[in-house]
Amino acid sequence: MKTRPVAEQKPQARPRLVDGQLFKLALLGSLSWLTANQEEVNRLNVFPVPDGDTGTNMLLTLQSAVEDIRESDAKEISKIAALAAHGSLMGARGNSGVILSQIFRGFAKHVQGKAELTPAELADAFEEAANAAYRAVIKPTEGTILTVAREAGKAAKAAAANPDAGVDTVVRAAARAAKTATDNTPTQLAILHEAGVVDAGGFGLQVIFEGFLKTVEESDPAAVPARPAGSGKALPAQRSLELPEEGWGYCTEFLIEGRGMSVEEIRDNIAGMGNSALVVGDEELIRVHVHTNEPAKVLAYASGVGTLARTKVDDMSKQHRVILDDTVPAEPQGNGKLAVADAQRKRPNGVGLVAVVAGGGLTEIFKGLGVDAVVEGGQTMNPSTNDMLKAVESIPYDEVLLLPNNANVILAAQQVPDLTEKKLYLLGTRTVPQGIAAVVAFNPNRDAKANQLAMAEAANQVQTIEVTHAVRDTTANGVKVKKGDVIALINDKLKHSGSDYGDVVSLALKDIKPESYELVTVYRGDGAKDKDLKVLTEAIGRDFPGLEVEVQDGGQRHYPFILSVE
Amino acid sequence: MPKTSFRVVTDSTADLPPAWREKYDIEVVPLKVLFGNESFRDGVDLTNDEFFRKLASSSQLPTTSAPSPGDFAGVYEKLSRECEGVVSIHLGSNLSATCESARLGAQSVEGFPVHVIDSGSATMTIAFLCRTAAEAEDLEAAVKACEERVPKLGILALLDTMRYIQMGGRIGRVQYLLGSMLDVKPLLKLDHAQPEIQALDRMRTRARAIPGMVERLKQEGPLEHLAVMHGSAPEDAEKLRALLAPGHPEMEPEVGQIGAVLGTHTGPRALGLVYVKK
Repeated sequence: MKTRPVAEQKPQARPRLVDGQLFKLALLGSLSWLTANQEEVNRLNVFPVPDGDTGTNMLLTLQSAVEDIRESDAKEISKIAALAAHGSLMGARGNSGVILSQIFRGFAKHVQGKAELTPAELADAFEEAANAAYRAVIKPTEGTILTVAREAGKAAKAAAANPDAGVDTVVRAAARAAKTATDNTPTQLAILHEAGVVDAGGFGLQVIFEGFLKTVEESDPAAVPARPAGSGKALPAQRSLELPEEGWGYCTEFLIEGRGMSVEEIRDNIAGMGNSALVVGDEELIRVHVHTNEPAKVLAYASGVGTLARTKVDDMSKQHRVILDDTVPAEPQGNGKLAVADAQRKRPNGVGLVAVVAGGGLTEIFKGLGVDAVVEGGQTMNPSTNDMLKAVESIPYDEVLLLPNNANVILAAQQVPDLTEKKLYLLGTRTVPQGIAAVVAFNPNRDAKANQLAMAEAANQVQTIEVTHAVRDTTANGVKVKKGDVIALINDKLKHSGSDYGDVVSLALKDIKPESYELVTVYRGDGAKDKDLKVLTEAIGRDFPGLEVEVQDGGQRHYPFILSVE
Repeated sequence: MPKTSFRVVTDSTADLPPAWREKYDIEVVPLKVLFGNESFRDGVDLTNDEFFRKLASSSQLPTTSAPSPGDFAGVYEKLSRECEGVVSIHLGSNLSATCESARLGAQSVEGFPVHVIDSGSATMTIAFLCRTAAEAEDLEAAVKACEERVPKLGILALLDTMRYIQMGGRIGRVQYLLGSMLDVKPLLKLDHAQPEIQALDRMRTRARAIPGMVERLKQEGPLEHLAVMHGSAPEDAEKLRALLAPGHPEMEPEVGQIGAVLGTHTGPRALGLVYVKK
């Protein structure tokens, strides 16, 4: 595909004002630069567990922000910013993604009614965007994307005080301050220091500022850092600025389900068929997002690799949406019959249940307990605000209890109440066992508020032990782990590592005062081996004879065993 | 034997304490439990402890059956020679055909008054009625005392599993408990307000469920009688009784074990709070 750099599209040097079209191009630059660095951001995971793909989450959020503005010819920055704010909110995934959406929201609010911004106004907008993000978070933590946003805003403001400052001066100051702030995050958060990494979300924002800078700073390419801090490979600046001559074609999204698939191979093949290719997942489930002029070719290739699900093709130039198979609630592995049976009888209190769940067995368990719609998602695929919103809208109840069941989904879930006419009650369930305990406590004869209270209390009384393998060497929470070790997380925090499932689980159970509990439910993950299950259950039986053990098929990925202790 | 004006008849599901049975000379008609082709008379051929042991070890779930009209006719026939009338108090017709059998049995003993009381309930609520009836002055007063109290009978039951009550099919609008792969422990209620057993809650652990029963009982207001029943779970029953003491200082709840017929439907380790409201 022939492309040309942005610099040629926007020939004027040193812009003095930012209008809608420049802002649009700058965001597209951010998107390209973040796409190029997505894996780098993902690699900054603190915990050695296979989850929390911050880079992917931020990229999907930014993609959603940019989706609606691609076709807009609006000259006013207020219009472009409003579109970006709306888009990012709908597509927000993961904590960093949600905070990013709040940054856009704050920016958009500040520039309301303005056609263009002077450098000083742009700096104010950056600062106000950071403030809005701080306000949106209940307990702001320093050493995260919030700190980076604030420092960038501050530096932009200082730079704008110089009467000679151009737009590029302001953005450069913001990008540099973002880098410094990101580099400093390990001094603010002990957990980062221990793991020897910078904050992933902060780094993501730094990359976004740098991509923004690339667009506004065409006259002096030497000033652009060749690669963002921490990146292992230098990427040619031109690549990040590629824009297709023929327009954007079709936004094509789908999931591939299969066995033993190679993400790298599929990524390479699909990248050759279009732009902004995003191919993530594992051997059995891959999510694809690509902009292509030949969606049929992409789909034909992908269907040869595995089974396609949730296929969606949007014609971006005509804004005409063709939905081939838009299944909401998403249930790639679930049993559709159960869902129908549930929908047929409305319950007396008029309260519906929506849960975020990944894994066939767990989906069945949640549905069996009365959940009306399941949003597919969990560790590596945090669902977006919009995914949850669609599920909430899809069920025949005006009051809905929403269970995120993952710490990284809560923030995105918190955005849903503002977007729906329905009365939404959000539960703060951080783990699957908490979610199940909450749903068990649901009673169709109680009103929503009473259910929310009873369910929250039930969720609080359960202890969660997640068992998986370390994906790399690290030290976190004072626990030293080697790649491949069996590790146990108690209520989301890494606590134990070792070589044997039985030993690690016994250590974890000892930590939570087993004498005050009576039941351990073991949710067996996808691919967990019989012999490992045997070792684990025998260890519990031997070391804690007072605990009853129940094994359920969870089917979750990445975590061979999730234990609920209650 | 001196001829009294009336006698009390009940069935084995009343879980009548042996002391009361002796003191008030109450006749107990057994229901039946069937393990495959083996039939046992509840509380006669099979003690409660034997039953729960068999329930735990049997691969096959037992079934139950009401006494036949002939079983009742035989008892009433005998009593017609010893007294002037009978008040016959039984397992609710919402749960069993026992009351129907009793009515049919009574028709075959002509000229002898038999008042069948449909308790709409089970276990010791029936025993409480029996004692109240036995202490009444005459047949008319006994029937009146029972009829007044039937609407005030209640049971809160915690089952250890849904398995048995589901198989027995004697449960009403509780679909929300069903279809779950997880074994949930239902908290059930049976009282006069609804003909069917109601599901109040579902829980995963007894540790939380037992205090929940005591909390729930507070909503029933002042009580005339209270008992704690269990199905081979005497320690939990004691725990429950101890938890009741602060809220009901004036009462000394009886503790008893449910029989084989009710045990077939509740499964092992069931716990019940059985009460008569004031």
